[in-house]
Amino acid sequence: MSFETPDDRKYNESHEWALRDGGTVRVGISDFAQDELGDVVFVELPDVGEAVTQGEAFGVIESIKAVSDLYAPVSGEVTAVNEALFDAPEQVNEDPFGDGWMLEIELSDEAELDELLSAGDYADQVA
Amino acid sequence: MSGHHTPQGSPFAPHTATDTEAMLDAVGVETEAELFDIPDSVRFDGEFGIEPRSERAIRAEVAQTVEKNDDLVELLGRGHYSHYVPSLVDHLSLRSEFLTSYTQYQPEVTQGFLQALFEYQSLLVELTGLGVANCSMYDAATALGEAATLADRLRQTSGTRVLVPEQLADGRREVLANYVGGTDLVVEAYPMDDGNVDVEALGNALDDEAVMVYAENPTVRGCVEESLETVGDLAHDNDALFCLGSDPVSLALLQEPASVGADVVVGAAAVLGLPTSYGMGMGLFATREEYVRQVPGRLVGASTDDTGRRTYTLTLQTREQHIRRERATSNICTNQAWVALRAAIHAASLGPDGLADLATEAVTDAQELADRVTEVVGVKAPVHDRHHVREFVARTDQPAPAVAADLEDEGYAVHVLGEHQIQLNANALAEGEVDEFVDALAEVAR
Amino acid sequence: MNYDQARWTDDDERYEPLLSEKHTAEADLDDAPLPDELTRDSLELPDLSEPELARHYTRLSEMNYGVDSGPYPLGSCTMKYNPKFTEDVAAIEAGAVHPDRSPESVQGNLELLYDLQDYLGRIGGMDAVTLQPPAGAAGEFTGVLVAKAYHEHNGDERSEIIVPESAHGTNFASAALAGFDVVSLPGGDDGRVDLDALESALSDETALLMLTNPNTLGLFERDIEEISEMVHDAGGLLYYDGANLNALLGRARPGDMGFDIMHYNVHKTFATPHGGGGPGAGPVGVVGELAPFLPKPQVEKRDGTYDLFDPEHSIGKVHGSLGNWLVLVKAYAYIARLGDPGLADASAKAVLNANYLASQIEYEVPYGPFHHEFVASAGDQDAADVAKRMLDYGVHPPTTKWPEIVGEALMTEPTEIENKTTLDQLADAFNAVADEDQDALAAAPERTAARRIDQTGAARNLRLSWQALDDE
Repeated sequence: MSFETPDDRKYNESHEWALRDGGTVRVGISDFAQDELGDVVFVELPDVGEAVTQGEAFGVIESIKAVSDLYAPVSGEVTAVNEALFDAPEQVNEDPFGDGWMLEIELSDEAELDELLSAGDYADQVA
Repeated sequence: MSGHHTPQGSPFAPHTATDTEAMLDAVGVETEAELFDIPDSVRFDGEFGIEPRSERAIRAEVAQTVEKNDDLVELLGRGHYSHYVPSLVDHLSLRSEFLTSYTQYQPEVTQGFLQALFEYQSLLVELTGLGVANCSMYDAATALGEAATLADRLRQTSGTRVLVPEQLADGRREVLANYVGGTDLVVEAYPMDDGNVDVEALGNALDDEAVMVYAENPTVRGCVEESLETVGDLAHDNDALFCLGSDPVSLALLQEPASVGADVVVGAAAVLGLPTSYGMGMGLFATREEYVRQVPGRLVGASTDDTGRRTYTLTLQTREQHIRRERATSNICTNQAWVALRAAIHAASLGPDGLADLATEAVTDAQELADRVTEVVGVKAPVHDRHHVREFVARTDQPAPAVAADLEDEGYAVHVLGEHQIQLNANALAEGEVDEFVDALAEVAR
Repeated sequence: MNYDQARWTDDDERYEPLLSEKHTAEADLDDAPLPDELTRDSLELPDLSEPELARHYTRLSEMNYGVDSGPYPLGSCTMKYNPKFTEDVAAIEAGAVHPDRSPESVQGNLELLYDLQDYLGRIGGMDAVTLQPPAGAAGEFTGVLVAKAYHEHNGDERSEIIVPESAHGTNFASAALAGFDVVSLPGGDDGRVDLDALESALSDETALLMLTNPNTLGLFERDIEEISEMVHDAGGLLYYDGANLNALLGRARPGDMGFDIMHYNVHKTFATPHGGGGPGAGPVGVVGELAPFLPKPQVEKRDGTYDLFDPEHSIGKVHGSLGNWLVLVKAYAYIARLGDPGLADASAKAVLNANYLASQIEYEVPYGPFHHEFVASAGDQDAADVAKRMLDYGVHPPTTKWPEIVGEALMTEPTEIENKTTLDQLADAFNAVADEDQDALAAAPERTAARRIDQTGAARNLRLSWQALDDE
């Protein structure tokens, strides 16, 4: 089975993606990760205004059979949260790179992006 | 020879000698002993010295043993009560499809138990007014401990204080201490005033370091708590969780916990379904819907199956130890599900009026017995000027331990609370037994 | 074996209706003997007659599968036959006393508890036993607290508990509940403890190593003596999770292997009924040096009289009273019924049954030699689907997808109670499913009271009471 790994963004080894749009980074989990988890039933996210730190947990995602921490790909203040996931967590399964996004973070240190995996390297990791 | 089991074997291992032979052959060994991959140095060659007995002999033996207990009328309570359990409860709960099943890991084939547990949860939702009830904890004491660890997980502050009434059953106090032992929570006692919460003292004791306030209704001394709303407000003003201890019989009559701001309700749910069984119980645990992901233990939810019909299944299992391991909401696995089934059947057989009547009688019986015993020379009851459920504290002019010992000689067991206080559970006395008890008390109390 | 579970269907929407859908009523609270402000406003509950209730619960029981219905090889749960007479022994009324009775007035109950402590001590090779923990996980918590108290008493505070990756989830949770950091121990290639990994996990922070032996793959930890020496040399204690004790009765004892603390799952090893999830009981045995730390009170016998006493450095209480009395009585009756020869035979037949069944099934069974249970792999099939399909053959499926060391695990524990014919039927069920395609598995189960249940829907749209259904 092969998984989508769009090359417009970068990835954590722990399967979160980071998509830069100016000074903001949008965050979600990869196609591979949603498939491993199975049907997502619950997502716990921080509030807007909270600070997250690269490599540290910012939330929790639960499926029927597993529960997993979500790790921030970059540090910064949370500027938006995808509240639609609270009522429709299935969006993570259905569209992990689109409607299934989780957070937007105001990028505090551009250099952090360089520490993430490229789409190609991430694709190798999950192949 | 092929008997139904080896003469010296387990009567519940149905192997004939022929079958055993064939099975050993299939596995490729000659003896059962060869199957044990145990180093010689740790093999056990000794004997336990336990003589096997027949079913008949064991029934006689255990009967003989437990009948060495003195046959006393128990005016004991403090969290353990014997309400009459209808025959229906035994006959239905002992159906072996229920009794011999385990946790419903395969819901399609265990709908019956799941539905019964869903109905039990619903009963507690009705009684407490809270949105979620789990399908049992071990007992009231461990349920209280679990409430404190829930408060620990939910707290938004650096606070560490858990406040409990100074008058609390020893078992609950000590189990709570162990459950918070792995956290930085500290349990402190707040004073009581004439059998109820001393709200002024509690108010003074509370600050933003408080994480949970625990109160009981009825209290361990049988008093109806009159300040629940104030206690709830005090707790919430300090961002602490309000945990209320009660039981499903009392709840049929007393203030609905949700209406006084309770965030968690714990208590002795086996007051329905089980007579006192030397302390075996079942813990009630209910809380607000918003805390559902922090609930300890098993939860049954409704779903649908492939035919589109409503079904039931264990849900939110990611909270539990088999998935979340050291980060689970609790370590509980095996619970008291069968007792919950019994409690649900008992409640259903009482119905709304039956349950309310039971609670009403518990109030009036306590009042009537207190009225009688306070007539006895050397006794004043109730000590606390409150309404009571089932039981109350009485003052004795004579030393209480002596009064209790003398009563035991007369065939009655009562609690000793202090030098001159005993506690009496009126519920234990059948109608005709009150006079006899009062006479016996009069003999020993003067 | 053909099988169709009873299925009571009310209409297209539901099977047996809820009590609340049959008839409810409001309680009459007008004449409450309390002031209005101290009573509730209303109480609405099901209001049904005894015949209606008898039928409701009988129907529910018919839509439930137990050990008495058929084979129940749920790995790690030891689903034995529950001898009927033990219910009658537990029901003897003279034992149903209040827990606060004076010890002098309940000599009979104390004698029975004392004798059960004695039996369990002999069976496990332990010097002292508490019967207070009401379940296996409560036993673990008790044992962990005892270890903590022991180290603290010696002025030696230790913060870590080592648990093998393949251990029961309760081990991790019990250690965490007591405030310890959990160090997860990766397994070796042979499915057993890897001594090198253990060596690197051990330190002067190690309070306890928790082990199941045989482990969750059914394998005996052959290096147990060396493991014990390593743990003790590091200043730690060794804990035995009794979940798999049914493999060893009369063949080996945890106390002889170097374990300091153990719990017994009486609802597994000693055949007390599982009751749809409980009650069980999880007595804890310890070596003499740890006896002063056991929960209070303990039962003792002096000059032919029984009494309760508080051990000198007791950890306090883990249950509000003395534990699950009715369960303990049933365990006593079971042990007395089997005695030495029966207990040894139970383990012998449990191990024979597991080995025989494994030899008859087509699924691969990696690792061995195993004892009372084995873990097969469903290979390309999804173990959860295999389980659903097995239901159609009239058997309860094994524990699935755990331990994770085996892919698509089918953890199977037939126990000693099945005869060869039943084991052959069970093997037929495994093998029939092994040969079926994904469509057949996905459509299963077909013959149970309910068809495949939507787990995702239950979790996404939480409805945990009939009140929640009414709100829709």
